[in-house]
Amino acid sequence: MLSESVFCLLTEDLLIRILDRVNSDRKSLRLVCKEFHRVESTTRKTIRILRIEFLLGLLQKYCNIESLDLSVCPRIDDGAVSVLLSHGSVNWTRRIKRLVLSRATGLGYVGLEMLIRACPLLEAVDVSHCCGYGDREASALSCAVRLKELNMDKCLGVTDIGLAKIAVGCSKLESLSLKWCLEISDLGIDLLSKKCLELKFLDVSYLKVTSESLRSIASLLKLEVFIMVGCYLVDDVGLRFLEKGCPLLKAIDVSRCNCVSPSGLLSVISGHEGLEQMDARYCLSELSAPLINGLKNLNHLNIIRINGVRVSDFILQIIGTNCKSLVELGLSKCIGVTNMGIMQVVSGCGNLKTLDLTCCRSITDVAISTIANSCPNLACLKLESCDMVTEVGLYQLGLSCLMLEELDLTDCSGVNDIALKYISRCSELVRLKLGLCTNISDIGLAHIACNCTKLTELDLYRCVRIGDDGLAALATGCNKLTMLNLSYCNRMTDTGLKCISNLGELSDLELRAIPNITSIGIKAVAINCKRLANLDLKHCEKINDSGFWALAFYAQNLLQINMSYCNVSDHVLCLLMSNLKRLQDAKLVHLTNVTVQGLELALRSCCGRIKKVKLQSSLRFSISSEILETFNARGCKIRWD
Amino acid sequence: MNPTGSLCANNWARSSSLVPPGNGLQTNLSLDPSSFFGVGIETPFKEINQPSPTQCVIPGESKKDVKITDQETSKLQDWDPSAMLNNLSFLEEKIHQLQDVVHMIVNKKFQPFEQPRELVTQEQQLITADLTSIIVQLISTAGTSSGIQPQNNCENKLFDHSIQNDVPNKCEMEQNHNMEEHEHKDEEDMEEGENLPPGSYEILQLEKEEILAPHTHFCTICGKGFKRDANLRMHMRGHGDEYKTPAALAKPHKETGSEPKLIKRYSCPYGGCKRNKDHKKFQPLKTILCVKNHYKRTHCDKSYTCSRCHTKKFSVIADLKTHEKHCGKDKWLCSCGTTFSRKDKLFGHIALFQGHTPAIPLEENKGLAEPPDRCDAKENSTMVGSMNFCFGSNPSSENGIDNMMDVKGNIDDPINYFSSLNFEGCNFGAFNEFSQPPFEDSDSSFSFLMSGSFNYAPKSGGESCSDNL
Repeated sequence: MLSESVFCLLTEDLLIRILDRVNSDRKSLRLVCKEFHRVESTTRKTIRILRIEFLLGLLQKYCNIESLDLSVCPRIDDGAVSVLLSHGSVNWTRRIKRLVLSRATGLGYVGLEMLIRACPLLEAVDVSHCCGYGDREASALSCAVRLKELNMDKCLGVTDIGLAKIAVGCSKLESLSLKWCLEISDLGIDLLSKKCLELKFLDVSYLKVTSESLRSIASLLKLEVFIMVGCYLVDDVGLRFLEKGCPLLKAIDVSRCNCVSPSGLLSVISGHEGLEQMDARYCLSELSAPLINGLKNLNHLNIIRINGVRVSDFILQIIGTNCKSLVELGLSKCIGVTNMGIMQVVSGCGNLKTLDLTCCRSITDVAISTIANSCPNLACLKLESCDMVTEVGLYQLGLSCLMLEELDLTDCSGVNDIALKYISRCSELVRLKLGLCTNISDIGLAHIACNCTKLTELDLYRCVRIGDDGLAALATGCNKLTMLNLSYCNRMTDTGLKCISNLGELSDLELRAIPNITSIGIKAVAINCKRLANLDLKHCEKINDSGFWALAFYAQNLLQINMSYCNVSDHVLCLLMSNLKRLQDAKLVHLTNVTVQGLELALRSCCGRIKKVKLQSSLRFSISSEILETFNARGCKIRWD
Repeated sequence: MNPTGSLCANNWARSSSLVPPGNGLQTNLSLDPSSFFGVGIETPFKEINQPSPTQCVIPGESKKDVKITDQETSKLQDWDPSAMLNNLSFLEEKIHQLQDVVHMIVNKKFQPFEQPRELVTQEQQLITADLTSIIVQLISTAGTSSGIQPQNNCENKLFDHSIQNDVPNKCEMEQNHNMEEHEHKDEEDMEEGENLPPGSYEILQLEKEEILAPHTHFCTICGKGFKRDANLRMHMRGHGDEYKTPAALAKPHKETGSEPKLIKRYSCPYGGCKRNKDHKKFQPLKTILCVKNHYKRTHCDKSYTCSRCHTKKFSVIADLKTHEKHCGKDKWLCSCGTTFSRKDKLFGHIALFQGHTPAIPLEENKGLAEPPDRCDAKENSTMVGSMNFCFGSNPSSENGIDNMMDVKGNIDDPINYFSSLNFEGCNFGAFNEFSQPPFEDSDSSFSFLMSGSFNYAPKSGGESCSDNL
């Protein structure tokens, strides 16, 4: 009561200032007092809806939001939109600038158009992974005349016609991603380049466009980032158009463009000496001498990824001596990466923050020590499958790279408990991957748990020596973990699972094929891990109905579940599918105790909101076609295994 | 002569009645005196051959003739009297021959027995054929001396044609279509400026009823219309003996050719039309067919609707047929209503004109959504029509591209541009309704165009424009 009166005295703008300073967790801040709640409500700009039942209330409460995220909200369809828009005086749409509708597969073009027309200030829309979207939806999107940013990744039905609609309707577009819009051809890109002259970012990855498109794109004077991953029809002729065009180009990605050769890439480089980012993953087999010479001129290069290319010590030396400002170097799966090469490149590039050496199998501790000594700012190091790396190298890493946030040691058999002890000195670690490191045990994990308290992601896939003690240490130390993979750690039991249930932030948990865990452990997780969204229980055969019953009642935030090969009955499956209101993706293969009727009933019960189901292909013709049609009509995708 | 003749006739009669006819016939033939029959047969044979000899057997002469005439067309001053003399003597000889034959026939006629019908008609035909060839020769000879050579040549050709070309009953459609194409060309020529001085031609103006009558051939004397030219020619016989000659009946073009020149041009009866004779910048129409097509296209309702797209309308049935040929293929539709057979053409169009977007075809939609769209399309097509009036530089062009060009000029005008935006803003209110016809924005772009055209009219201040609007 006292505190309330204190805040009563402060004016609203003072409160707003206070809230601005406290930028950690607005949710708990809201709970402090009425004033905080009120101010938080009026100043909140972004909102991400998890459940549709609260949508209307939230939108009325937060009338000043500028960004609305409906990507994880099931059952957003045309009807829901019309209700949202027709309800009383519609205030909330007035200030909306950003709409995130990724995977909103239930929304059709009618609803989309209503929504977009209702938001006059709309500047950014994300409709990525709405696989069913086509030209009509694109046409609806084109109503947003102020649109600056549009993500249409994997809108599989969009053709040139739809793109033309958008190009004409949204001429102020600055950022457009058309990844996997497979129907779009040169014609559409050509028109886009003529109509949307403000474009700064363009992603045409995996489109069946040819070099002709690059001729058109070259005319975009403001283009800064151009991504064309997997455009297998584009060749050097196309890249030569870019040499003269796009004067402001800063980043280019020609990864997986099979027809691109070093000379084509060289022409881009020679036209743009200010290039900051160059991606050429898996498109070149070798770097030619002229291209290496060309690299010498790129003094502003920040990021270079040449995964899969044959390199030599000389090439790495050239990069090291010329690209002084390099921040990220990707040499994943490069052939010919030696200790010498690494030493030469890192000695020049002291600012490196990200270094990807995945599958560079010949590098040893010497290289790791040099990296550690030369790059004190290193934040991300990927050493997957670098077998020869041992605790010796990692010792130096733990000593020097205190900024390290991400470390990938997957499949490094040289990593043992001592190595983990050294690594644990990197107290800033956020993501740690130790999958397939069969030599680590609870002791090593305890070191990590004690020191790396900021860890949010931990991968212990097939770390078969990890047991309940290690998990107990983890649960006390790394209580910010959100993602944890314990698949195939077959020594762990319900005890370990109970410890894990103390991780309140946990959202992704993989427990695949752990034979000893039962319903008791799962129940603990279901009750305590309130944020649990993704759960993989495939092949956990000891979990019975009571475990799934607990999930059905407690894990209300569950978004994805894999319960293939689990012993669940008809009844509980129905309960689970109907009770979990957020569930959007379920893998239901080989449920031996479930009958076809039970499965049908379960499917009917979640029909309105689920977006993806995986079913056994042998059931394809036994499940009633009416259900399948309804699923299809609702934008739900069925995968047959 | 008489007894044999009668005997012979009897023989004929008998042979036909008797049972063994083959024998009788043979004997008859062998018995037949050459005195009369021989002549009867031989002369025709000669005569049959003769027409070709006149052209082929004396090739030196006739070819020379042709050559000369050819030269003559270029240089009329070169006249060769000796060649003329040759021709004349040749003709004289031929006339003598013909005279003999006719004499013979005349003599025969006085004989008491009847000749077989076939023979008489055969002789008649041969004589007329010979006569015509003589006439032709005569005319061509005359042509070498005077200036009417080209027509002569033309006549010759046409004469041959008319024999081959017995006015086959062609599909009317095709004919129309061809003619129409021809007409288009004519009009284009006209645009370039036929520049006939005003008094140099006769202006005819058909009445509206006449134009819309389902006839294509009109009597130049009384104006009666016919579907077929052959019928018209039959009709012409009633206007005087000059139309009864075989030549006049054979081909209609002859009379115009031989008449003294006063070119005929046509005026559209629609007041204010550029094709109307009272218009300041009158541009006459060349043929009656031009008049008919012009009048229907420009001043009549478009009553023929395409059975495929249900949107395009035409007033000339041939235009409809032409459209229907391509209609299925024209699946690339712009919001302005223009259709394209190729996607790249559509995209070129869209790239060129601000505000135009591709229209998404409706097929996938349920039937419910169709009627309103059809309305839209109608609105659009009439709109395009009105624009045709507006910018009437070429009223016959059916696809609005040229017109769009004019509109584009307006779009650059910021006021117009904003007016379209305003319209979208107005629409905005209607979006609370759940079931929304999917074509909303194409609708707006139609009206957008509309606003453009409205704004245009007062600015340009064209007299006819404002009338039509």
